[in-house]
Amino acid sequence: MNIMHYLADLLVRSLFKADPATWPYTWIAYAVVIGVGALLAFAFVAIFAGPVTWIERRIAGRIQSRIGPNRNGPQGCLQWLADGIKCWLKEDLVPATADKPLYLAAPYLVFTGMFGAFVVLPFGAHVIAADLNVGLLYILAVTSLVVVGLLMAGWGSNSKWALFGGVRSAAQLVSYEVPSAFSLMAVVLMAGTLSTQGIVGAQGGWPWQWFVFRNPFLFAAFIMYFISAIAEGNRTPFDLPEAESEIIAGYNIEYSGMRFLFFLFAEWANMWIMAAVATLAFLGGWQIPGISPERIAEAKGWTFVGWQALSFAIFVFKGTCLVFTIIQIRWTLPRLRVDQLMITCWKYLVPLSMGSATGVLLLMALVREGGIVDWVMRGAMLLVGLLVAGAYIRKVRATFMADRDNYKKMEGRDLWYPPYRLP
Amino acid sequence: MNGSIVQVVLFYLLAALALTGACLVAFSRSIVHSAFALLGTFVGVAGLYALLAADLVAIVQVMVYVGGVLILILFAVMLTARVDEGKESNPTVGKIPGLLAMLAMAGLLVVTAVKAFGPRTVISEANPPSTVSPIGNLLLSKYVLPFEAISVLLLAVLLGAVTIASGRMRKGAGGKQEGEAPR
Amino acid sequence: MTNMGASLFAILPELVLTGAILVVILADLLLKARPGRPTAVAVLSCLGLVGSVAAIAAVPGPGAGTSAFGVMIATDGFALFFKGLVYFAAFFGVILGLMSSEIRREQYGEYAILLLCLAMGMGLLAAARNLLMLYLGLEMVSLPSYILTGFRRGDRRSSEAAVKYVIIGAASSGLMLYGFSLLYGLFGTLDLTRIGMGITRLLAGPPTGEHLALAVATLLSLAGFAYKIAAVPFHMWCPDVYEGAPTPFTAFLSVGPKAAGMAALLRFFLTAFGAPVAGAVGGFPWQVLLGILAMVTMTVGNFAALNQENVKRMLAYSSIAHAGYMMMAVAVGSGDAVRSVMLYLPIYLLMNTGAFLAVMAVRERTGSELLTAYRGLGSRSPYLAITLTVFLFSLTGIPPFAGFIGKFYLFAAVLKAGSPFFNVVAVVGVLNSVIALYYYARLVRTAFFEKAGEGEGAVALTEPSRVMLTVLAVPTLILGIYWGPLASLIERSAGMMR
Repeated sequence: MNIMHYLADLLVRSLFKADPATWPYTWIAYAVVIGVGALLAFAFVAIFAGPVTWIERRIAGRIQSRIGPNRNGPQGCLQWLADGIKCWLKEDLVPATADKPLYLAAPYLVFTGMFGAFVVLPFGAHVIAADLNVGLLYILAVTSLVVVGLLMAGWGSNSKWALFGGVRSAAQLVSYEVPSAFSLMAVVLMAGTLSTQGIVGAQGGWPWQWFVFRNPFLFAAFIMYFISAIAEGNRTPFDLPEAESEIIAGYNIEYSGMRFLFFLFAEWANMWIMAAVATLAFLGGWQIPGISPERIAEAKGWTFVGWQALSFAIFVFKGTCLVFTIIQIRWTLPRLRVDQLMITCWKYLVPLSMGSATGVLLLMALVREGGIVDWVMRGAMLLVGLLVAGAYIRKVRATFMADRDNYKKMEGRDLWYPPYRLP
Repeated sequence: MNGSIVQVVLFYLLAALALTGACLVAFSRSIVHSAFALLGTFVGVAGLYALLAADLVAIVQVMVYVGGVLILILFAVMLTARVDEGKESNPTVGKIPGLLAMLAMAGLLVVTAVKAFGPRTVISEANPPSTVSPIGNLLLSKYVLPFEAISVLLLAVLLGAVTIASGRMRKGAGGKQEGEAPR
Repeated sequence: MTNMGASLFAILPELVLTGAILVVILADLLLKARPGRPTAVAVLSCLGLVGSVAAIAAVPGPGAGTSAFGVMIATDGFALFFKGLVYFAAFFGVILGLMSSEIRREQYGEYAILLLCLAMGMGLLAAARNLLMLYLGLEMVSLPSYILTGFRRGDRRSSEAAVKYVIIGAASSGLMLYGFSLLYGLFGTLDLTRIGMGITRLLAGPPTGEHLALAVATLLSLAGFAYKIAAVPFHMWCPDVYEGAPTPFTAFLSVGPKAAGMAALLRFFLTAFGAPVAGAVGGFPWQVLLGILAMVTMTVGNFAALNQENVKRMLAYSSIAHAGYMMMAVAVGSGDAVRSVMLYLPIYLLMNTGAFLAVMAVRERTGSELLTAYRGLGSRSPYLAITLTVFLFSLTGIPPFAGFIGKFYLFAAVLKAGSPFFNVVAVVGVLNSVIALYYYARLVRTAFFEKAGEGEGAVALTEPSRVMLTVLAVPTLILGIYWGPLASLIERSAGMMR
């Protein structure tokens, strides 16, 4: 039972005292609930994208040894609001030589493509707009609308930089869709379903039940998916479409005001989608450790709501961690060249991801689930995962310590570093 | 669930989208606009598939046609020199013969469609079963031979594409030019 | 559920071919730039093709239990015969490619691989008993053909030919798909046999709009076949493609895909419309239509060939004419006609490949395909000139060469049909053969009775060319006198149709 379905039925029952199965106007209730759900998802994008821009700029500042936005609100945390309002109030400029219909339509297309993917993202045990049978494929398909939108923006702007950016971006998206699809195929093979909820349901709450730690091939698939996702999101080190130093800003260079904001929105939404897909496919999604999905489904009243909230929190937490990783990667690595970009994709990622999908198939055929080999593999992969996490934390700590010592040497006093100033 | 009204409305909306796209493709004076208008057709048709409870086909339609074919067409159009110069959509066939051919073809299709499937509405269930696994099973049982044959075909085409494309880079080493025939 | 393992024998030739393709790809990659690479690739490809031909013997007949693939491809004698034929055509294509300098050494691997894929496609096309498989086979033949046509990189004519080929091919396969979709709409199935039953039912009833739809569907489907066998009005690609494509591939293209297309056409019409439909049952005279097409095709081909100065172009038009001759028998559609086409095609394979091989040999030495390059060939290279004459006279249909036997059977089958219309068709066919004599003889005359120009010395034949010419010429001579075994093989194969 989908939560929106449930709510709509509840609405009909409580408000109109009618049986939703027979009442002739039930579909109106459905439509209303779907509309509200869409608005909520939209709000999630906005609320997520906003603060994350600020967080990213703070992280960037720290990585580049500067401060970053710290004027609007405490520590500058309202900066995103100011930026949003500024963009909103700006003039919506259309270049005189632009191909007007294409120029005007492009942002909507990009945003539709991104936003469409939210329909199947399982935010929680029952918090999903529509659990489609073809969920994962749907995400891949809908995001291809974005490519068309980017090309449209590139062509419509009638500017060579925009066109370069659009074409580069489309080439990149189309190429990297192949390895990302193959990596996800490994997961689909494991789960035996394309439905996003089904994939989450095939995993469990504990890390050793996640797909990423199941076997080495899935671990590799996760890493490859993550790389391709970064490339599909046009993030550094794959941000050639908007390489500021080469083509200024790419496809969105001629845009201003709200339309420009749409592109930014889409980019942030995309980052979240990629992180969410990685979470649901590899990291166990919303699964609560120790609580089976059946128990959540059977719960009543506030317990039910509580489980939903908890699963939602878990999902968002995992996704946000990945988003932070993407941001840190963005500000640490240099940009690739075009040929390196294509070589990375076609010569390495595509064959390797095909290999990992085949390897998963082989292991599924050879290794009995729950057998000794299976557990050994899970344990080993978990160990690898823990080591990676440990190394990461050690690195962050070492950097922090070095900074603190330097600070003390320079200023002669201890560094005051509150947690909200971020890593 | 009384969804028939919704379905009818959706059907006409999607059909209108597909047809508008198709008309724009045919009548637009700019090739680039024609190419972009294909988007409407593809998405509209995918929507119609979804309305017919063919979920996998709908998604594959979007993936292959929007994500693949349309992008390729756009690339080709955008990389063509002087793409703006083509102003007439299809100058060889006049408007009247074109209209007649269209009407004849439409009549034929209607006759065939009515004969094949009858004038009925298709969806009866609110939650139609998934078509993913039936299609997968068919692909690996009844249609396994075409399925595998396609993979050989794709391999050949991939090889050929690489051969032809890499030829451009090492130009000059190609075949002899003698024996040019008088035409 | 049928036994999958046993079913695999039904597609054993295809399996062997697929294995060969993979082996050749690997060998081509592993051998890199070693000098022996083309030879090794050629040997492996030929082994694969010979293995596939041998595998045909292992295919169980249609009577031997149901096969899991039976719904898609036929395993009757007709299909197997054509499979063997097209594999042989590919075999010659592989060898000719190795001998030609038009295929660059480092590209020979791709050439062989594409040719093997083509062979597989032709086999599937000839055996398809389902519209899906039919279309797939057609594309498997077409797409590698486009690539191989444009294989001479940096050559303008080759690229132009490839582009023309792609455009006409795409248009005709689009038309064909429209036709197929109409057929599917009318009968709700892609299976040829069941479509045939549906057509019988439909034509038994009173005429309705569906009859018109059927007629349009048939016409549209015909477009795809006509394109593949280069029949009028879908022949325009033929001369340009034949001229632009590398000669060894042209030799192959003029035979293999034509044979496969002819087989598919025969099966399509005979299965879907029932064996000898007397005239115009239910108002759809497809026999007359095919007959007219045959007449137009051969006439156009022959008249256009008359004043060609480029020998490759001339042979292209001549191959259009030959398609016309064969279509004549397809139109009749009787058992005799089917057998006559099956007899004609192997003979055509020998003589046409041989003629192209001679063209290739001349081109290798003189660098030209023009008629003038053949002046005095009789003295410059007697063996080449004599074998070329054998092939050309055989193509004309002069006894005692094999071509005569082929044509004899064709005309006999057409005349046996007995209707006045087919008598007219046969007369047109005979007249066309006379016209054809003119341009074939012109080439022979140039070779023997014209003096070689300044600086046109001897045309030295390489040893492989000499061997291949002999390999092709000897059966052309023998089959003209002693065709009994081939005819009886065909008798046995054709008897198993459906």
